[in-house]
Amino acid sequence: MKITNKLYMFVFAMGLLLITSCELEGGESLNGASTSSIANDLSRGELPQALSGVLSDMRSRLNTQIDVQSIFGREYYFFTSSDPRFEGDVVTGVLDNNTFYTTSPWSSRYGAIKDINLALEGLANTTADFSTEEVSSIRGVLNTLKAHELLSVSNNQYTNGIRLDVSDSDNLGAFVTYEEALTAINDLLVSAAGDLSAGGASLPFNLSAGYTGFDTPAGFLQFNKGINARVEAYRGNYSNVRTLLGASFMSLSGDMDTGVYHTFSLSGADQANPLFIALNQEANVRVAHASYIADALANDARVDKVVLRDTPREASGLVGTHDVWLYQSNVDAIPMMRNEELILLFAEANMTSNPANAKSAIDAVRTAAGLGAYGGALTPAALEDEILFQRRYSLFGEGHRWIDMRRFSRISELPNDRAGDNVPDAVPVPANENQ
Amino acid sequence: MNKKIIFKWLVFLAMFLPCVIFAQSVSGIVTDKTSSLPIPGASVLVKGTATGVSTDFNGNYSIEVKTFPTVLVFSYLGYESKEVSVDAASTSLNVKMSQSATALDEVIISGFASSVKRSNAANSVASLSSEDLAGVTPPQTLDGALAGKFTGALVTSNSGSPGGGMSVKLRGVTSINGNSQPLYIIDGIYIDNSSIASGGLNAVSGASGGGSSSSQDNATNRIADINPDDIANIEILKGASASSIYGSRGAAGVIIITTKKGKSGETKLNFSQSIGFNEVINLQGQRNWTEALAESEFGEGALYRAAEDAGTLRDYEREVFGEKGFITNTTVSMSGGSDKTTFYGGLTRNQEDGIVKRTGYDKTSLRINLDHRFSDDVKLSLVSNYINSSADRGFFNNDNTGTTIGVALTATRPWDNLMPDANGNYPDHPNNSSNPLQTRDLMTNNETTKRFITGGTLDINLFRGDNSDLKFVAKAGADHYTLSSTVIFPKELQFMRPDQGGVNGVSAVSTATNTNANYSAFLVHNYRSDNDIDFSTQAGITNEQFSQQVVRVVASDLIASETNVDQAANQAVSQFRLEQEDFGFYVQESFNYQDKLIATLGIRGDKSTNNGDINKFFYYPKASIAANLHSFNFWGEDKLLNRFKPRLAYGEAGTFAAFGSLFTVYGNTSIDGNVGIVVPGIRGNAAISPERQSELEFGFDAGFLNDRVSLEVTYYKKQVEDLLLNATIEPSSGFSQEFLNAGTLENRGLEIGVNIVAVDTEDFQWNSSISYFKNQSEITQLNVPTFNLGGFGNSLGQFQIEEGKSVTQIVGTTGPGTPVSVLGDAEPDFQMNFSSKMVYKDFTLSFLWHWKKGGDNINLTKLLSDFGGTSADFDGFNVDPEGLIRNGDYRITKGLFSGNATPFVEDASYLRLREIGLYYSLPQENLDKWFKGNVSNVKVGLSGNNLINIFDYNSYDPEVSNFGGNGLSTGVEVTPFPSSKRYMFHLSAQF
Repeated sequence: MKITNKLYMFVFAMGLLLITSCELEGGESLNGASTSSIANDLSRGELPQALSGVLSDMRSRLNTQIDVQSIFGREYYFFTSSDPRFEGDVVTGVLDNNTFYTTSPWSSRYGAIKDINLALEGLANTTADFSTEEVSSIRGVLNTLKAHELLSVSNNQYTNGIRLDVSDSDNLGAFVTYEEALTAINDLLVSAAGDLSAGGASLPFNLSAGYTGFDTPAGFLQFNKGINARVEAYRGNYSNVRTLLGASFMSLSGDMDTGVYHTFSLSGADQANPLFIALNQEANVRVAHASYIADALANDARVDKVVLRDTPREASGLVGTHDVWLYQSNVDAIPMMRNEELILLFAEANMTSNPANAKSAIDAVRTAAGLGAYGGALTPAALEDEILFQRRYSLFGEGHRWIDMRRFSRISELPNDRAGDNVPDAVPVPANENQ
Repeated sequence: MNKKIIFKWLVFLAMFLPCVIFAQSVSGIVTDKTSSLPIPGASVLVKGTATGVSTDFNGNYSIEVKTFPTVLVFSYLGYESKEVSVDAASTSLNVKMSQSATALDEVIISGFASSVKRSNAANSVASLSSEDLAGVTPPQTLDGALAGKFTGALVTSNSGSPGGGMSVKLRGVTSINGNSQPLYIIDGIYIDNSSIASGGLNAVSGASGGGSSSSQDNATNRIADINPDDIANIEILKGASASSIYGSRGAAGVIIITTKKGKSGETKLNFSQSIGFNEVINLQGQRNWTEALAESEFGEGALYRAAEDAGTLRDYEREVFGEKGFITNTTVSMSGGSDKTTFYGGLTRNQEDGIVKRTGYDKTSLRINLDHRFSDDVKLSLVSNYINSSADRGFFNNDNTGTTIGVALTATRPWDNLMPDANGNYPDHPNNSSNPLQTRDLMTNNETTKRFITGGTLDINLFRGDNSDLKFVAKAGADHYTLSSTVIFPKELQFMRPDQGGVNGVSAVSTATNTNANYSAFLVHNYRSDNDIDFSTQAGITNEQFSQQVVRVVASDLIASETNVDQAANQAVSQFRLEQEDFGFYVQESFNYQDKLIATLGIRGDKSTNNGDINKFFYYPKASIAANLHSFNFWGEDKLLNRFKPRLAYGEAGTFAAFGSLFTVYGNTSIDGNVGIVVPGIRGNAAISPERQSELEFGFDAGFLNDRVSLEVTYYKKQVEDLLLNATIEPSSGFSQEFLNAGTLENRGLEIGVNIVAVDTEDFQWNSSISYFKNQSEITQLNVPTFNLGGFGNSLGQFQIEEGKSVTQIVGTTGPGTPVSVLGDAEPDFQMNFSSKMVYKDFTLSFLWHWKKGGDNINLTKLLSDFGGTSADFDGFNVDPEGLIRNGDYRITKGLFSGNATPFVEDASYLRLREIGLYYSLPQENLDKWFKGNVSNVKVGLSGNNLINIFDYNSYDPEVSNFGGNGLSTGVEVTPFPSSKRYMFHLSAQF
C-alpha cells in the first residue's frame, strides 16, 4: 500500500508542476495592423496609409450606389444574369431593407467614414511632430471627405435620415432628419474650410491622381467650396451658393472636366473601375433609358455618352437599345465633382436673382456640348426647366438626376416603362441599424 | 520504509515457501474453433484478479494459479470470451474459441488511454467497423462514407464536385459562428479538417461582391484525404456527455478513428481492385422548344429553325453534365509479424473522373503501422501515413459575372452554337458573357494536397499487483500538409478578352502549409477492492499546437499562354498566418461494480491562446452512470428481455473563439500606387470567451430473445451558452459584424436504433437494422437584436437568428410590404436509416436506405434559369396556386419581383438507396485446388452508390450547400455541380 501511496504522491507532484509550469505564450495579432494602433496615436509614417485607405474606401461599392441612383433617376438600366433584382426591386421601387441595394452603399460609405474617424481620433491623440499647420491641413482634408461621404448617404436616405455621430462604435449617435443632416454637413465643411485656410502651403501626404491640381491646402479648399456649394444648393441657400462658387474652382470658360476624380488601376491591391462594361455584352449590360436619346436636342455631343448596340437588350419587359459608354476602359476615372456641375450650380443659384448670369452659365454648358445659345424665356420657371434639362445630359450617369428631380418635386415626371414600376423617394434604412 | 518491506517479503517467503514451491501452473493451447489455427496474443486471466498472461506465437500459454478451484478467462478481440473452471493444475487445458459476430462492438474507447466494454458504456456511442464503412461500396471520401450509417448525424455533401467537401453535424447545429464540425482523431493524432478557399476564383466570379460576403468557392475539406480502406474502426462521440474530456475541440462531437494494425502470424497480402463509372443522378432537362416558342421568348425563331434544319440543336446540359466518369480503386495491403512485432502496410490508389470533363479526383495513400512489444510491460506503436491527392473541381456555384459554368448554362438555349471549330476556337456565347464549353475546356481549378500524418503511442506498465495496476501512456502526433491550389483562366476565354471588358487572363497560386502537433501523457490506475468494485483512475495532460500559413497570389493580364504569376502585368498578394496553442489536463474516475453498475466522474481543464486571457483555464465536468439490470440477481433467467441497461450521462465541453476574434485588424488596399489601410468588415472583441456546451443524455439499451433483437433508445438535450456570434452590428459603425458571446442555443432530440438478427442458420443469415432520429433546435436566449445570415436577402429567403425560434429557420417576405415571416426550416423532421445484410451460402447482399423527411432548402438555381428563359418546367402551371401563370413567369413576377420568397423555399426530403452491394466469395476448396493454398478469401462483387434517389425537389439534388460546410447555412443552392451515382465492380483476394 505504501508503495502506491508514494507513487500517487509522485505523480501528483509531477502533475502539479507540469500544469502550473505550462504557461502558454502567444496570441498576438499576426495578420495586419490593429485599428487601435492608429486611433491611439497617429504617427507621421502611418498618416499616408490612413489617408490612402480613406481615398480607396471612398470607391467601395460605387457601382451599386451609382447604379441604384441612376436606375431611380431613369437614366439607365442595369441588367445582369447574376442578380435579377436590378431589373426587379430597384425598378419597381419595392425596396427590401435588408438586401444589398440598401445595405451595401450605406455600409460602404460608413466604412470610409470610420476610416476617417479613426484617423481624426489618432490625430487628436498624436504625439508625432506635426506642426500646427500640418494638423490643420490634415483635419481639413479629412473633414471635407467625411462631409462628402455623409452627403452621399444622406442623398440616398433623404427623409429616412442618417446617423451623424458614429465615431464611437459602441454609442452611435441618433438618427437626424434630412434638414439636420444637411445643416451638420454644411457646418462640417465650413469648419474644414477654416482648417484648410490655416493649413499652410503643402499637405504632409500624397493624394491620388484624381486630385491633381487640388493637392495643396489652397487647392483642396477650392474642392471644399465646391462641395459646400452643392450642399447649399440642396438647402436652397442660393446666395451662399454664389459666394462659395466664387471661392471654388468654377470657371465659365474653363474645361468642363476639370475636377476631382476617383482613380483606378489594375496593379496589386488596387481596384478596377467597377462601372466599366464593354460594348455589346449580353450577360451584364448598362443600357440607357430610351428617353435619353429621344429627348435629346439635335447635335448634342453629350448623346455620345451612349452608343447604339448591335442588337437591343431586353430583360423582363425593359428594353435598351444603347449601351452606356461613360467609361471606356476599366481604369477610367469616375468624377466626384466637375467644373460642369459647378457651372450649372451657378446657373441655378442665379436663376431667380440674376437671370442673365444664369443664361451665361447655361450657354457655357451648351456651347461645350455643341449646341447653340439658350433662346428660351428667362423666367425662373423656364430657367429651372432648362437647368434641369442640361443637368440631365451634362451629369448623365453620375448619380445626380434622381436627386435633382426629387429636390424640385418632379419625381412623378420620371418615366415608368412597365405597370407596377415606381420611382421611390428614398432608400429605406438598413434593418441592421435597429432604428 | 524500504527495509521494512523487504523484511516483510522475506518473512512471507520463509513462512509460505513450501506453498510457493508447490504453486500450481496451468498451461495449454488456445485455438480457433472453426479453423483449428492457434490464436497468438489471446489474453488469459485468473478471474477476479489482475493476474494474466498472453498466448505466444503458437497459441501456448502457461499461467500461475495460487488457489484452486479457480476460473480462467480467455479473451481475444474478435472472439467470444470463454470462462473455464479449473480444479487442479494441468498441462493440457486446451481451449477452443469461437468468433463473435458482434465482437468488434465489444470494446469502445473511453477516455484517452482506456477502453471500456460496450456493455458497460453509459453513452450512446456509434461504432462503425471497416465493413460498415467501406465494405459495401467504396466511398469517394471518408466523410461521404458516414452518411446514413448512424443516428444523430446530418451529413450533407456541399456539391457533387469530385474530391469531397462535406459537412457533418452531430445532434444538430452546435455553433453558429464557431466551429460546428466534429474533431477527428486518428490513432491519437488530432487531424486538421480545414477548408481553405483558393485564390483567384472569387476574383473572376465576383461572388462575394453581391448579396453575400462569403467567397462561395466550393472548397474541399481536408478530412477527404484520409483513406477509408485503412480504417479498422470508427467511433463517434456525438455530444459533450461523451466527448467532454476532449475539452474545447470536442464540443461538436469527436470522431475517433483507429487504423488497421498488423496481426502476428503469417504475413498476409490483401489485394483489391474496383472498377466502375459514375453518372449524374438527375438532369433538369430542357423546355419543349419549338420555333414558335423560340420566337415568342427570344425573337429567335429563325435561329431555331436554322439550327433545327442543320441538325445542331443540342442539349447543352447533357453536353456538360452527361459524362460518365471512369473510377478505379486499387488497394494492396500487407499485415503480419512475430509475437513481439507486428506491422501493417497499405498502398491505395484512387482515381475518379467527374461527370464534367476535366474534373476528377486522384489520390495515393501509403501507410505503415508498426507495433512492437519490448517486453510484457512496454509496448510501442507507430503509425505513419503519406497522402498525395489532386482534385479538379471545375468552376461552379454563385457568381456575379455570368462566368461560372452553372450560371452560363442558365442562359444557354439549344440553338446556340457553342462548339469549337476545327482549330479549337470557341465562338462567343450569343446570350451570355461566357461560353460554358469553353470555360470547361480551358480553365483549371486544381487543389493538390501532400500530407504526412504520423504518430506514436508508448504504453508502459509501471506496476502490476494483485489488486491494482498502474500504466503510463504517452502519445504524440503530427499532421502536416501542403495544399497548393492552381486557378487558371487563360486569356482566350470570352470573358477574359479585353474587348469584352476582361482582364486578359487570370492565374492564381495559393499555397497553404499547415502543421498540427499534439502531445499527451496519461497515467491509468486500476484497483479492485474487496467488495468487487473496480476503480479506474485516469489523469493526463495534453498539448496541441497549430500553425498555418496561406499565401495567395492572383495575377492578371498574362503574357501569352504563360501561367507563372510573375509572367503578368498585375499581381495581388495576400498572406494569412495562424498560430495557436492549447493546453489542457483531465482527471477521470470510473467505478464498476461487477459489471452491474458503472459510474464515471471526470473533469477537464483547457486553455488556449485564442482566448482573451490566454492562460485562463476553463473547466468542463462530466458524470455518467449505467446499470446492467440483467446482470443483477433479481432479474432472473429466460426472459423475453434478456438485456436491459438504462443509462444517464452529462458532460460539458466548450468551443474556443476562432483565431483572430480578439483583434480588429485593418485590411490593406492600394490607390494610385499608394498603399492604404481600411477597416475590416468584422470588429474584434478583446473580451471574447469560449462557448460552453452542456449535454444531458439518457436512454436505455435492451436485448430481446437472447439479443436476436437489440434496441437502443436515447434522448438528449444539448445546450450551448455564451454562443459565439458574428452578430451584425449597425453598419453606420463602419463594421458590419462583430464577435460577441451573446445567446443560448438548445438542441433536443431522440435517437432510436433497432438491430434484428432475423435469420441465423447455417446457410442463410439475415441481419438488419433500422434507426430513427430527429432533432429540434431553438435559440432560447439572444442578447443582440435578431439578425440574418446565410442567404441573399428577404426577397429570396435567408436564415435568421431570433430568440424563441429554431436556429435553422428560413425567413422571407411574402409579398410587397409584407413583414418577414417564417417560410421553412432546414432541420429535417426526422431521418431514418434502414440497412440490411443477407448472407446465403457464399453470396452476400447488403444495402442501406436513407430517408430524410422534411428540412427545407433555398433553391435559387431555378430562378436563375427562369431569368435565362431556360428552366425545364418554365411552361408548366403547377407553381401558381391558381394555375394561371406559367411557372417561370410566376417565380419571376409573383416571386422575386413581388418580394415573395415562398417559391424559393422548397422541401428537401429524399429517400436514397445510398449503398448496395452483392458479393460472391469463391469457395475455399476450389481456390485450394487451383492455387494450392496460396490464395484465399477471393471475392467478386458489384456495388452501387446512390443508385435510387427519390425526391420532389426541383433541382439536381436536395443535398447541397452553396456556402460550404461550416456555419449553419447548408441547403442554399445556386447552380451547383450536380451529384452523381456510382456503379462498381470488385475483385479482392488474399495471398
